[in-house]
Amino acid sequence: MLELSNVTKNFGGLCVLKRVSFTLGEGEFVGLIGPNGSGKTTLFNIIAGSLHPDGGKVTFSGRDITGFPPNKICRLGIARTFQIPRPIKTMSVVENVMLGIFFGRKNSTDASRSSREVRQEAFEYLNLTGLQVDEWTMPHELTAAALRRLELARALATKPQLLLVDEFMSGLNASEVLEASAILKRIRREKKITIIWIEHVMESLMNLVERVIVLNYGELIAEGKPAEISKDKRVIEVYLGEDL
Amino acid sequence: MLILNAVINGLLFGGVLALMAFGMNLMFGVVQIVHLAYGQFIMVGLYLVYLLTVLYHVPLLLSCVLAIIAIALLSVLCYYSVVKPLLKAPPINQLLALAGLWIVLENACLAFFGATYKGVQVVLPVLHVGEIYIAASNLIGFGVGLITLGLLYLFLNKTYTGVAIRAVAQDTEVSGVMGINSRTIYLITFVVGGALAGVTAACFVPVYAVHPHFGSAFTLLAFIIVILGGMGNLIGGFIGAFIIGVVTSIGSTLLNPEIGQIIALLICLLIIILRPQGLLGVRART
Amino acid sequence: MKFMENFKKGTPLLILALLMICPFVFSSPYLLHIFILIFIWSYVTTVWSYMGRFGIISLGHGAFFGIGVYTTALLFNLYNVSPWLGMLAGGLAAATIAVILGYSCFKFGVIGHYFAIATLVLAEIITLVIIALRDTLETGGKLGLTVRSLGTSPLFFQFENKLIFYYLTLALLGLALLIWKKIDDSKVQRALKAVGEDEEAALSLGIDVVKYKTTMFAVSAFMTALGGTAYIQFTMFADPTTCTGVGLSLGIVFKAIIGGMFTLWGPTIGSALIVVLEEYTRLALGSAFVSYSQIIYGLLIIILIRFLPGGLYGTFSDLFRQKRKREVQVLLSGRQAADPYK
Repeated sequence: MLELSNVTKNFGGLCVLKRVSFTLGEGEFVGLIGPNGSGKTTLFNIIAGSLHPDGGKVTFSGRDITGFPPNKICRLGIARTFQIPRPIKTMSVVENVMLGIFFGRKNSTDASRSSREVRQEAFEYLNLTGLQVDEWTMPHELTAAALRRLELARALATKPQLLLVDEFMSGLNASEVLEASAILKRIRREKKITIIWIEHVMESLMNLVERVIVLNYGELIAEGKPAEISKDKRVIEVYLGEDL
Repeated sequence: MLILNAVINGLLFGGVLALMAFGMNLMFGVVQIVHLAYGQFIMVGLYLVYLLTVLYHVPLLLSCVLAIIAIALLSVLCYYSVVKPLLKAPPINQLLALAGLWIVLENACLAFFGATYKGVQVVLPVLHVGEIYIAASNLIGFGVGLITLGLLYLFLNKTYTGVAIRAVAQDTEVSGVMGINSRTIYLITFVVGGALAGVTAACFVPVYAVHPHFGSAFTLLAFIIVILGGMGNLIGGFIGAFIIGVVTSIGSTLLNPEIGQIIALLICLLIIILRPQGLLGVRART
Repeated sequence: MKFMENFKKGTPLLILALLMICPFVFSSPYLLHIFILIFIWSYVTTVWSYMGRFGIISLGHGAFFGIGVYTTALLFNLYNVSPWLGMLAGGLAAATIAVILGYSCFKFGVIGHYFAIATLVLAEIITLVIIALRDTLETGGKLGLTVRSLGTSPLFFQFENKLIFYYLTLALLGLALLIWKKIDDSKVQRALKAVGEDEEAALSLGIDVVKYKTTMFAVSAFMTALGGTAYIQFTMFADPTTCTGVGLSLGIVFKAIIGGMFTLWGPTIGSALIVVLEEYTRLALGSAFVSYSQIIYGLLIIILIRFLPGGLYGTFSDLFRQKRKREVQVLLSGRQAADPYK
């Protein structure tokens, strides 16, 4: 459903992505890993339309979406979370999720629904991500872990076919990591959407995903099942010293 | 011939414009504020010269020097009362506070000097070489402008303070690590910027009879030049000044003064939208 | 509690009703004049705040006001077009310019103070155009222009009776406030609030930033121009300093800041304060001293921005929030986030 071919991106003279190509099938759960600065988030920004590639093509459901603005891409069915949560601070948590329902969907009739109905639905998404808040909870009252869940709920509220998750577990303690894994599993089971997931917490990622893509210095160096990847020589070299 | 005349006078006038834009540019580069009330400082300078020479019969040159000192002090006052408390505020708040200062200064002059044109009668000859006529006032402005800019160049490159100013303009945080107190540098920048406004005012004395609304015209003119050359880009501003000098000069010779200014403003608008880093700027890293 | 709610809802209606019967209580034409000026400037300031409250600060609304004023006056003076049509023409002209400038600015990401500067340049351009057309279109340049008087002619938007202007401008203000309420209840408000705070996050949620911003800019410009028409038909005289340009633009912004641009009544309160301040100095000190009132309000602006950087509303809503003192529930296991916004 998503196809990247030869995507290239330069910042100034620095090449951040070098001819990256891969395809994603319907309903797949893919992990995207690589050391810091390997271009993972840049790749997300390009798929989501926040950045335009200097070369190459992004195709989604048979449609060339290269160079589309982020809002259009969102409405086509690709939602994303941000590595550092970016809630709208002046709106309550529920209202943040309501934004996704009102503006992010293909079907514009959702936009004319009454606030009460939409609020109800927003609470369902918050429950799905295991975030229990009331109508007046503001984002600044949430913990770091909860803010990540808000990001996820808000992205899910746009009813995406493809979800880009940029770090869901960094900075969480052991029990929170377990909860987070459970949430992702549940979303997969209930929503049946395609997910690409950037994560530094390898253990959880390897346990959850079906396929792993590895980036290093902007190049795709390996791709395959988690079991294969953890044995791949090049990947081990890149992560030398880290426990896969 | 008419056009050649306009070009030459425009180039000469560009010298003063470069001086004027330099002050605003320096403040943007170093302190990162858009000094919206800069033209009003020049206007106040012109009024001070008028006050001293015409009402108190101080010799012209002496009153120019006094005005330059006074404007530098006014600039310090502006730094402490308006800019310093807002250094960490969003840019739009700084802009609006300085717009407030704009209103205060303009109306203060209106209240004290009234809405009529006030000028010092300086009779300067019009020189002519062949068929080209050059206003001596433009020549003086050009000379003073270039000399001042030359001195500034030496100041910024050869003195410790000057180098520190440039360091802060490059990167406030890093220069802080290197032991430069950015607050002191900001203050010095405002003294220098104020003095530059004063010198510009002195150069304008033979050219303009002053009116309270002139301040906004000066601000906008300085502003156009700064945007043209790229905000904070001192060399760009220097070249931009001559471009604007020639464009407005030709525009007002061939059509009328407003058309020249309108063209300059439209160019400015296009640059804001398409090349915010200025015509000569390099695109920022972000 | 119920009573308070009803009281809160009823207040605007009550104020409106009081203002409706006001002219019957006092009949001084001078007071009427002041009220009309307050209504016009409150209207324009409210309409400006449609954008301002979402962080889109325009320093060029004087241009749109001027377009309204001069389009109406010139169409009537030169071609005998009724100002009612002129009003529409002026509004459309202003909206067109707003769409062109707004679309190109927002498309290329000119935001914040860069946008403010772009609009400031527009204000100056329009002033210069009006001055440059002093002969070609008989705008009168800096000297100003007078609208040909027909006495009272409803068809041509001319009334000698100030009472009619009183109700007309009051209706305009009412309309502006009503539209504010409509915006508040609509999803446009949600979109622009999100955009004003974090444009990238808003984009990622499917909000068409350029469309919403441009539309709001156009609506605001259109309505500002209508205010210009009302003003010129009332005063019958226009000049570039009072009817357009940077000074006027800043005046509008300052009225909004003083009253608070984030609240429904803020712009109206700010405008009323400034108009009364100006009139008071005019009366107390003579018209030569109007500039003193401007000095006061320039200083007021600097002080407000310095000491209440969040604007009046921001300060008050913070107080309100402290009053609420709701139990902060941390429902997830783990610690409170170490203030993620710092």
